[in-house]
Amino acid sequence: MSGWLYEQDLMVQKYHILIATRHDRILRTIASDVGIGVQELRKTLIERLDMILLENLPARYEAAIAADQKGDDLVALALGRYIFSTGIPLVRESRMDEILRTTKERLDRGTPRPEAIAAGKALIREAILQ
Amino acid sequence: MKRTVDVNIPLGPVHPCFKEPVRLKCETRGERVIGVEVELGYMKKGIERIMKGRPWQEVMFLAERVCGICSVIHNMVFIEAIERISGIDVPKRAAFLRVIANELDRMQSHLLANFSYCYTIEHETLAMYLLDVRELVMDELERLTGARVTCAYIIPGGVRCDIRAEDQATLRISLDRIESDLHRYAKMFETGPMIALRSKGIGILTQESARRSHAVGPTARGSGINVDMRTLHPTYQQLGFVPVVRKDCDNHARIMVRFDELFASIRIIRQCLDTLQKGIIRGGGICKAGEIRYSGEAPRGELTYTIKTDEFGRITDIQIQTPSIMNIEACCHEMIVGVDSIADVTSTFVSADPCIACTER
Amino acid sequence: MSILQNVKDLVRSRSIHVSYVDVGSCNGCDIEVLACLAPRYDIEQYGIYVHNNPREADVLLVVGAFTPGWEEKLKGLWNKIPEPKAAIAIGNCPISGCVFDRRGSYVDPPVAKHIPIAAEVPGCPPRPTEILQAILSIRDSVFAEWEVKRK
Repeated sequence: MSGWLYEQDLMVQKYHILIATRHDRILRTIASDVGIGVQELRKTLIERLDMILLENLPARYEAAIAADQKGDDLVALALGRYIFSTGIPLVRESRMDEILRTTKERLDRGTPRPEAIAAGKALIREAILQ
Repeated sequence: MKRTVDVNIPLGPVHPCFKEPVRLKCETRGERVIGVEVELGYMKKGIERIMKGRPWQEVMFLAERVCGICSVIHNMVFIEAIERISGIDVPKRAAFLRVIANELDRMQSHLLANFSYCYTIEHETLAMYLLDVRELVMDELERLTGARVTCAYIIPGGVRCDIRAEDQATLRISLDRIESDLHRYAKMFETGPMIALRSKGIGILTQESARRSHAVGPTARGSGINVDMRTLHPTYQQLGFVPVVRKDCDNHARIMVRFDELFASIRIIRQCLDTLQKGIIRGGGICKAGEIRYSGEAPRGELTYTIKTDEFGRITDIQIQTPSIMNIEACCHEMIVGVDSIADVTSTFVSADPCIACTER
Repeated sequence: MSILQNVKDLVRSRSIHVSYVDVGSCNGCDIEVLACLAPRYDIEQYGIYVHNNPREADVLLVVGAFTPGWEEKLKGLWNKIPEPKAAIAIGNCPISGCVFDRRGSYVDPPVAKHIPIAAEVPGCPPRPTEILQAILSIRDSVFAEWEVKRK
């Protein structure tokens, strides 16, 4: 009766979770926020998160936004620090801190704010897709 | 995120301890659990997809069948969301009857949750005691609403049927009996040394991690977070409701929160019966177009319906956020991680009162 | 019929091991199956034990409207149950899909398409007594004289 442990391909099931109304809305917000294609972001999420995390995406997203707004760090709020590191764990926290530091240094050097934030977002995009 | 682990132990989907199919893949190092991956997909029915485009008369029954254990609150939140969209008022008597039905439902759900926990830690005596008390509650629920499960008691503008004077008397007698029994069982659980060995200090969910994963309901209240949607509900505000909070953060605290809430529910029902006024139980109104996000407190925590209706009372867009989603997430990624043995995985999982049917809808 | 067969029948009629599997219901039928364990209905007085372990079960209670996750697993589960065995569909869902069998949903009822069903208990959800009665009524027709019928 021995055989290999059966593992199901969960791609379709996970996709079903992500196309629910609220999940889809949040996914599109995130995708346009960091400039990743929707399908590409879906693929990344499916590969890297397990099913209950995907189901919990809207609640975690809201909790992370609340955490971001509670702190008085405007750069972190603009970059969505908690959203991508703890809320939706796509970027390691150490890497996120690094990105935050680089962005702040750029601002200190006199780079205009929108430009520095855009550069920070590009770094986050890179970290998500790697 | 691949990691090297000693053994990967899958539990489920059919498991003697789990009432519903879910697969937990526990990554272990020695006996210690270092991570859990949850595999769902055994209960995905796509209820929200069926609901879209249907009139509220049909969606009402579908909403009830999101979860059979806490069907009254699903009914209540959906109907109250529709009422808020359309501006329909509820008669006083009906509002209190709703609370009675809701609290009876909460009682049976909490009793079932505590039964499951006691059954999982193999304290079958206490489990059977609790299941026996649950039957008494189910009787009262049936006498009030006409059905044990999925009773569709709450309808827009009121409730379906009234409570008779003799039923009120029986309800009071039953409540007295339930309360005296429960006092004994709660004390058994709280002071039992063997139970404490299996529950105290196991499955720690700190306040911070509970906030991060957005834990709700008894799971959050067992970790010292004072969150209860009932404090925002007008009828409960009239009754002067105060949430139950414990600060121990472990399995024992979560179960004791449920025991305490059972007594709170009994008090609320008594208060409702005392203040019940004579009057109509159903008003009228027309369901209108609109969009709303409305939350209520289910036995497991905050339940949120995001509804959009059109002018004919059809549901054009709906999203249900059930409490189990957040609680199972908190349970699997925070509580279970770090428990000392695989034997504690099942009991910790059950202590969060997981409901897979809610989670996947 | 031999004496041995009589003994076997007698023993089997008082020892039925039940396993239940939820293939995508709303939990309503689940808890009604669970309520059978309660001292009020006391399923064990009839010699029925709820183990929830398919490998030692005689009767499989199927609850729910068959979701895609079970596509390959239910058959395997059914094969793990030793003979003689029977499956009972509890509730409307495994029979017709109940409210879930609509356009756009993921379910694929009836369960009878996937495994042989010996008895059906309709209701949304059925009462615990009805579930109990179904298990008891299937007992004689499936398990009595099984060795004789097999030949």
